[in-house]
Amino acid sequence: MEYRKSTILDLRKSLDNNEITGEQLFEEANKLAHNYQNINSFVTIIDKYNHRKSNSILDNIPYALKDNFSTRGILSTACSNILKDYVPVYDATVYKKLKDSGALLVGKTTLDELAMGGTGTTGNTGIVKNPWDETRAIGGSSAGSASCVALGITPFSIGSDTGDSIRKPAAYGGVVGFKPTYGLISRYGLFAFASSLDHVGCFTRSVLDAAIVTDIIKGYDHHDMTSLKSVGKLQDSINDEVKGRKLFYFKDVCDPNNYDKNDSELIEVLNKFNETIDKVKELGIIVEEVEFPKELLMALYPTYMAISCAEATSNNSNLTGIQFGPRGEGNSIEEIMFDARTKGFSEFIKRRFVLGSYILQKENQEKLFKNAQRVRRLVVDRMVELFKTYDGLIMPTSGTIAPHFEDSSDKLSDKYLILENHLVIGNFGGFPSISIPSGFVNKMPISINITGNQNNDGLVLNIANKIEEKLGYKGIIAGDDNV
Amino acid sequence: MIEKEKLKKYANKLMFDMKDEEYETLQEEFSIILKQMDLIGQIEGIEKVEPMTFPYANNSSLGLDEFDERDVLTVDEVIENAKSTAKDQVKVPKVVD
Amino acid sequence: MYKVVIGLEVHCELKTNTKNFSRAKNEYTNIPNVNVATVDLGLPGILPVVNQEAVKKALKTAMALNCTNPDEVLFDRKNYYYPDLPKGYQITQVTKPMGINGSLKIVMNDYEKDILIHQLHLEEDTASLDHYSNYSLIDYNRSGIPLIEIVTEPCISNSEEAVKFLETLRNIFIYCGVSEADSKKGQMRCDVNISLMEENAKEFGTKVEMKNINSFSNVKEAIEYEIKRQTKVLESGNKVIQETRRFDDDTKQTYAMREKVDAVDYKYFIEPNMPPVKLTKEYLDEIRKEIPKLPYERYKTYIDEYQLSSYDANVLVKDKEIADYFEAIIANGINPKEACNWVTTVILGSLNKLEVSLEELFVTADMLSGIIKLIEQNKLSVGNAKKILYRSMDEKISPLTIIEKEHLSQIDDDEVLRKFVNEALDEHQDVVNQFKEGKDYVANYFVGQVMKKTKGQASPVKTLEIINEEIRKR
Repeated sequence: MEYRKSTILDLRKSLDNNEITGEQLFEEANKLAHNYQNINSFVTIIDKYNHRKSNSILDNIPYALKDNFSTRGILSTACSNILKDYVPVYDATVYKKLKDSGALLVGKTTLDELAMGGTGTTGNTGIVKNPWDETRAIGGSSAGSASCVALGITPFSIGSDTGDSIRKPAAYGGVVGFKPTYGLISRYGLFAFASSLDHVGCFTRSVLDAAIVTDIIKGYDHHDMTSLKSVGKLQDSINDEVKGRKLFYFKDVCDPNNYDKNDSELIEVLNKFNETIDKVKELGIIVEEVEFPKELLMALYPTYMAISCAEATSNNSNLTGIQFGPRGEGNSIEEIMFDARTKGFSEFIKRRFVLGSYILQKENQEKLFKNAQRVRRLVVDRMVELFKTYDGLIMPTSGTIAPHFEDSSDKLSDKYLILENHLVIGNFGGFPSISIPSGFVNKMPISINITGNQNNDGLVLNIANKIEEKLGYKGIIAGDDNV
Repeated sequence: MIEKEKLKKYANKLMFDMKDEEYETLQEEFSIILKQMDLIGQIEGIEKVEPMTFPYANNSSLGLDEFDERDVLTVDEVIENAKSTAKDQVKVPKVVD
Repeated sequence: MYKVVIGLEVHCELKTNTKNFSRAKNEYTNIPNVNVATVDLGLPGILPVVNQEAVKKALKTAMALNCTNPDEVLFDRKNYYYPDLPKGYQITQVTKPMGINGSLKIVMNDYEKDILIHQLHLEEDTASLDHYSNYSLIDYNRSGIPLIEIVTEPCISNSEEAVKFLETLRNIFIYCGVSEADSKKGQMRCDVNISLMEENAKEFGTKVEMKNINSFSNVKEAIEYEIKRQTKVLESGNKVIQETRRFDDDTKQTYAMREKVDAVDYKYFIEPNMPPVKLTKEYLDEIRKEIPKLPYERYKTYIDEYQLSSYDANVLVKDKEIADYFEAIIANGINPKEACNWVTTVILGSLNKLEVSLEELFVTADMLSGIIKLIEQNKLSVGNAKKILYRSMDEKISPLTIIEKEHLSQIDDDEVLRKFVNEALDEHQDVVNQFKEGKDYVANYFVGQVMKKTKGQASPVKTLEIINEEIRKR
């Protein structure tokens, strides 16, 4: 058994056959975590084996947790200076469930500051490198959780996804990234970015593992009014027959003819996507192209920005350095709050907050915030309508491979890049959405995404599992012995 | 374009300040996002759409939670992360109305 | 003279086991930071979960104030930075308050008036700040305690109406069992908006706001001071400045507070962490059923049906326990005036003297009814009845037991009484003679004698009848 390449199920078998112990697995993971420090996956590495025995399938399985989850007694910084010394007094529900299931926390992973970025470069502890090519970013915000699984440090990790923060880095890192239906996993203890868009989800190296992990951490939580009463086990339907299932993709967005011929990388990504579609069809799945109103697709990004920045401004108003976090200097209460926040947030975060606050201002709210919420409804209604005919949307997760650091920016751009922004549809509608590796372009992984209707998590995983089997990229890992 | 002074005022209301050049970046971003939002406003019939806050297609029928005591912190936990405390409370510079 | 226009914003803490959005205890305590959950501290990652009991009580109060309820429970965020607000926003209701367009009738000495309620909404209290010479301390016990805010229309005309409204409102809270509304514990607080206008003016004058006044008497003094102050300003040809003023408890004056340059924008938006919960008709009906008969309705009945004086009716409805007690006696078939008389004298007097609540008082409505019945049947004198009741309260023994033990029941048996009367007449021939001489009033002397012999048990009316009969025979 090679630990790095093992899935959860592989490790389970080895553990159950007494070929290896949990302690040994933890040591292995811990050693890898330290060895790969150059990638910067972790804010905190746990060095002590700490295990709560259980009968769960995750018992003694190592994992990593994004550093924006509350972990009692363990530093939780969200990679922001304003929380750089924060040690929570309570456990996030997800963390508690994993602890109770005997899973082994290997470390808290690096993210874009407060999860508000998509590059993995804005955290206060430095950039996260892409293990497939260290001159490239892995994307964010769940950068460390993606790189950690891509490197095989842990077979799974937990992230959060507000726009694409699990699915995009999963694509750039060549791993599976899944965020289920909104409310399926409790958000209690996840540091809020945009409450109505935030999802908890996981990174794995197989679709089945994603189902296994989700089955453990899902369920109604009395701490979260938006959490859903639990549905059946997602694993149960993972091998169901998919013949006759129907998928669709956005016609214009995926057509190479609509793009600059000189952008060879993009053209190759789209050509590969079309090859993938052919293989999907070989499974007996019907795939059709659908016209989606261009004006709505163009509106996705500004809509996402408006809603997420507005909610984020409010959600992060608790960060004042009074109850927790570094205390600001000054003689009055205003001065100390002002100082703590001025020093505590990076420029990028501040810009988002000012934008969000502007959008919520009384005189702008109707035109900016409410109009964004209206577009959200138009998009979701349209999708729900399509889900009456189709089981899911299949799209390239991204139109590019992982970008080089110099090309990676979170600065607002007026270039409409629908291929880069369609994943927010999954957040607008709280739809289950999964990204799985679908091949390579320029030796870097590319990925497809499947998004289904609310509460159809089992079906989305089922289709993804069958496609994964067909494509044959299950379990790939990055790292020195792999390139 | 929104004046820098205004942006500074908005930032200050959020209890922080930024560097001069950072406001310039922000100005650019504002023009971009506002231009894009203008386009949204032109979507036909947009004004008739009910704004969507919750990602549920249908409004939830979740029951209201029962009430009983739980998740209560000890006094030490309450003040543990505060940098200045006194008499089991969080201490701050004198607050004047 | 100017016309005074007053609007009130009343905050009242609800009585619930736990807080509005967390599961820490909702309880008044002097020990800091013992009732604090993660949510109340605004820790990263917390989510509010609404307390069903708080929702119910807010809806109930809204119903009692004749408000229209919303179709679903929904909350909004009010965003502002202040050290007593750990989340940086307060969860409140703007989009769908628990009640809108209500009214509450107040009864003044010589008129009645409907005070219009603009809205009632459910929100959370802030943490409390304790100020010391050069620092402040934050205690989060109060953070998140359920609070209802009631906003009236600007329809109150003077300080008396304002205070009467507050008293009536407080009474509604207590009748409905939603709050103790104890202003000493800061459970009921009031903001006053007041403006003056020319008698015939069409538009309101400039509004001055006075925040956080914590007692009814201070509301009265603040309003009266402010009327005088604004009158002076206007009479001297100046304009009233729109501002927030603070009422000082010691000087009984109001002072302008430090003003922010521009109005605060609270950037309200719907709280995304609490999905709307539909309010079904069944659910609302269930709550409505729990509302007891309210004071004004009772007041009306007492006056119209029972023919009590407005004064007595007011005394009775002022406290729900008293009104319930009174009504229980009536339910036992006692004449309302008689019942009112006993309740307002003996019972209320005892509560004051013994410093107990009605609940703690040993004599129940049924016990008192029994005693009043004995009097009506001439089996007990009023004097003895009172003595028995006081003893009963003291010794915690039922009044009927006392009567039995002490043979205190009134004697109205003719033959028994005739025996005592003749004995008395025999003993005092000289007084009998006086009667014969036409001094009728001496008959009362014999009543006294018979009372002495019977230890007060004789029915005075019957005794007098028999004395008159027997004395004429002599």
